[in-house]
Amino acid sequence: MLETESCSIQLNQIDWNDTSCLITYGPLPHKLVLSIQSTGLIAPPLLQSKNNGFFRIVCGGRRLAACKKIGLDSPHCRVLTGSLEHQRCLRLAIYDNVAQRILNPVEKSLALAKMSHYLEETRLIDEFMPILDLEPSIALFNRYVGLHNLEGMILHALATGRLNERIAFALAKQEQGDRLAYARLFQELPFSVSVQEEIVELAEEIARKENLTPEQVLSSKEVRALRKTSKKPARQRAQAIRKHLQDRCNPRLAARRDRFGRETRDLGLPRGVRLVPPPYFEGAKWILECTFERVEELANRLRRVVQLADQPELQKIMESKIDV
Amino acid sequence: MTYNPEKLVIEEKVAGSPLVQRILSSLPGIPVQWVVRLDEDRKRETGKALEVVKFRGRFVKPCPGTRSYNCCGYQIVNFGYQCSLGCSYCILQAYFSNPNVRLFANLDDLIEQLEDYLRTSSRKVHRIGTGEFTDSLLLDHLTRLSELLVPFFAKQSNAVLELKTKTSQIDLLEKLDHRGRTIVAWSLNPPEVIEREEGAASSLEKRLEAARRCQEWGYRLAFHFDPLLAYPTWKEGYTQVVARLFSVVDPSVVAWISLGSLRFMPSLKAIIRRSHPRSTVLDEEFIPGLDGKLRYFRDLRVEMYAHLKNLLLGVEPDLCLYLCMESNDVWREALGFTPAEKGGLPTILDKQALEIVNSKF
Repeated sequence: MLETESCSIQLNQIDWNDTSCLITYGPLPHKLVLSIQSTGLIAPPLLQSKNNGFFRIVCGGRRLAACKKIGLDSPHCRVLTGSLEHQRCLRLAIYDNVAQRILNPVEKSLALAKMSHYLEETRLIDEFMPILDLEPSIALFNRYVGLHNLEGMILHALATGRLNERIAFALAKQEQGDRLAYARLFQELPFSVSVQEEIVELAEEIARKENLTPEQVLSSKEVRALRKTSKKPARQRAQAIRKHLQDRCNPRLAARRDRFGRETRDLGLPRGVRLVPPPYFEGAKWILECTFERVEELANRLRRVVQLADQPELQKIMESKIDV
Repeated sequence: MTYNPEKLVIEEKVAGSPLVQRILSSLPGIPVQWVVRLDEDRKRETGKALEVVKFRGRFVKPCPGTRSYNCCGYQIVNFGYQCSLGCSYCILQAYFSNPNVRLFANLDDLIEQLEDYLRTSSRKVHRIGTGEFTDSLLLDHLTRLSELLVPFFAKQSNAVLELKTKTSQIDLLEKLDHRGRTIVAWSLNPPEVIEREEGAASSLEKRLEAARRCQEWGYRLAFHFDPLLAYPTWKEGYTQVVARLFSVVDPSVVAWISLGSLRFMPSLKAIIRRSHPRSTVLDEEFIPGLDGKLRYFRDLRVEMYAHLKNLLLGVEPDLCLYLCMESNDVWREALGFTPAEKGGLPTILDKQALEIVNSKF
């Protein structure tokens, strides 16, 4: 049983710099501010007195921050009376938070990192990863535990759900300059998570091949130009950057796609008929799509297709252009 | 470079096997750890130990091809797995988490299964190799396995044995009664590729010298340009290899030559980056193939195969040349026909094998 006493604490008696038990990260929820403003503090924060006369926040950091914001100067708090070792205080903070809400990835990282000073890895993984809604595995633990050390811009994006933790894990492996370059691009334009992963992979690959850094790839003239084409919607710009990186990484495939596009246009397929190469031009299965509304339309289009199938141009489209 | 392990780890139940006895007498003084049964989950970091165990599975298996590409219908006899040569592109790095070379000591079972397979299979002829999960000859100085397998195949009227290697360890082959039914095969690459990507494998010159000696001893030969690697001067590189090959080897003793471009499971990429930072094999562009492996873009593959075909058939138009794991469109464009037009790839190669087993020796 926790021994506490209730009392009003002046906000200036709180050591705001002591974040040793704090695992919260992210903007103050507007609804919390509104709630305290309209009904006062329903659940009092838990504090621990320090030797210097100040109080350390154990639980309720965000509630106190909300009080500060609305000018509630002496909120009602609970103060631990007996001495309670720091590990237990931290444990209280973690359990208090997970009981109320789902923590964001930065908070999960902070919880694991702070607790790692007191518990050995296996116990930490077994006890704390499940309550943080994480699969208890060493690999995932290693990815999460360092996440909170990333730059503020990335942490903010992570905490607010604008950056997926999978991407954060990938960025954590990068040099700082590269990491921030990716983060800026992902903030600027709407890429899905899987496309963000692809962008990281492509930029890394290009950087290796062209002896550049990923940051240099992302700030190359071509990418800069595509980022700044303000006339185009953001989604189209994102798509164009992805395609540019794909083509730059796979010049042979890009050249073949261009040639295919050109030659298919020249072939003069009838309207409603589309030739689809196998993915990556790999394998022998090509698809001819024909859409139609009436039977006569189908017959006309197919007749024209049959004529084209006899032309050497169609065969050429399907082959590489090397001199065998 | 000769493979010499730093330590032996041997299962007690195979202690008395001839293989273990041969290895122990070849490596006097080597530390030996005797175990009841090798713990598969034990982490092995060095790769310097040679493990000798009893194999409980099937020794003879079909080559793990895929339906998406033309497969040659080869059969594999596994006498062990893993390889210490350290080629950067080697798929075994991703296949096996255990870096140690492992040998199977119950060779009586191997021979029994092989006999059984050859007796009961309905196929007219069998092409059987040992070089899928390890190098066929890398450990021959320790195992003397060629002394068991080559005479065994000499007695078979429906099978040929192919020993695939990147080494020049052929000394034991000299005195063996092979009756022309063992094919000694080398994987070939230009010297600069061998130097950069093929770790402790023998140089091109040593491989060709070994081939010359095997030819002298009456063996049929085979060559595998597999993996073909694309790099800025690959055309010149492979042109020189072919020229050098036929300055040493008589094309009439060549059973077959295969061409196969680099392909690998995606998981190998990270392993190559981590374990072979000097390697340039990942510099080209790769696309996911129909089997999920990464491969060169098809137009490049066609170009490479066509170049090699022109070189090889320019020397000997009747050479039996085939593509390993390629689709019909690539076959047609690079070689001018598809396997199906000649009865299928297994049939093409079986015909060669039949000629070999039926030839007077």
